[in-house]
Amino acid sequence: MEDHDILLKFQDPASRNLAFNQLVRKYQSKVYWHVRKMVVDHDDADDLTQDVFVKVWKHLENFRQDAALFTWIYRIATNECLNFLSSKRRKFLLPLNDVGAELAAKIEADPALAGDEIELKLQQAILRLPDKQRLVFNLRYYDEMPYEQMAEITGTSVGALKASYHHAVKKVEEYVTRTTDD
Amino acid sequence: MKPSFKLDAHPRRPRPLLSEPPAGYFDALPTQIMARLPQAAARATVPGWLAWLTPALRTSLASVTVLGGFAASFYLSGPAQPATAATASLDAVPRTELVGYLLTSGARVENSDLAVLAAAHPNITKGFLHASAEEVADALDEQPSEDLTYL
Repeated sequence: MEDHDILLKFQDPASRNLAFNQLVRKYQSKVYWHVRKMVVDHDDADDLTQDVFVKVWKHLENFRQDAALFTWIYRIATNECLNFLSSKRRKFLLPLNDVGAELAAKIEADPALAGDEIELKLQQAILRLPDKQRLVFNLRYYDEMPYEQMAEITGTSVGALKASYHHAVKKVEEYVTRTTDD
Repeated sequence: MKPSFKLDAHPRRPRPLLSEPPAGYFDALPTQIMARLPQAAARATVPGWLAWLTPALRTSLASVTVLGGFAASFYLSGPAQPATAATASLDAVPRTELVGYLLTSGARVENSDLAVLAAAHPNITKGFLHASAEEVADALDEQPSEDLTYL
């Protein structure tokens, strides 16, 4: 179902739940993996994904459609992730690097990465990036999102995003090179 | 010299190599999300002035409203009216028909029925029971004790 049809049905109270169910089914996987890349842990990603869609439900009536629906959902998901990570830091009084190290430890324990040293180092390097830079890296490297769409999601200029991604790639390459065995 | 890692040379994946979510996760997720929605919808339908009250106050207000409703309906209904409609409609039936019905239908009028009737309508017997107090007392004395319960 097209976004336009979903939004049209959502306006009608009789078909609102059905339309929203369609919306969730359409975007749940993308939202989940967007969140999962940021928080790594499945349970955290599950909670946040549900929170994202509850927020979408609450505000969809006021969605003005001056951005694509998916861009708007991504923006909500991004804000949820950044708020979650910063609140985690505040809650446990953790400095910036410790959350990255905690996430990296979760990555190391993930059986999917067992035996793939380069991939493991790559993930560790990504998780050591500051949250916002990591977000930029994920959107560009994994999702291959155009900078213009990234700018809509993050509220940052295209030039700043390009610079951020360039620096992120350099940091990642440097970390993997330094920590990988010959 | 250690070769430097180049991201462009590394095989690109659509997402990091993380473990997949549990089997059936995406089948169950919409249901879980939809289950969380009615609460939000219910909150949205609360009138503005009610939204200022705490949930405890709202519950108390609802209880008072329900109890008030009961009290008002009880007060407005007034004291129980005698059921005259049934008696009036019976009065319209000729006596011969009533006697015929009682004799043929197999219905038996027990002493207890008469007792209930006399208690509900104390003057009803005056129309057909022409007996002095002594005659009534004699008749009662002849009744078995268990039949006197209602008299």
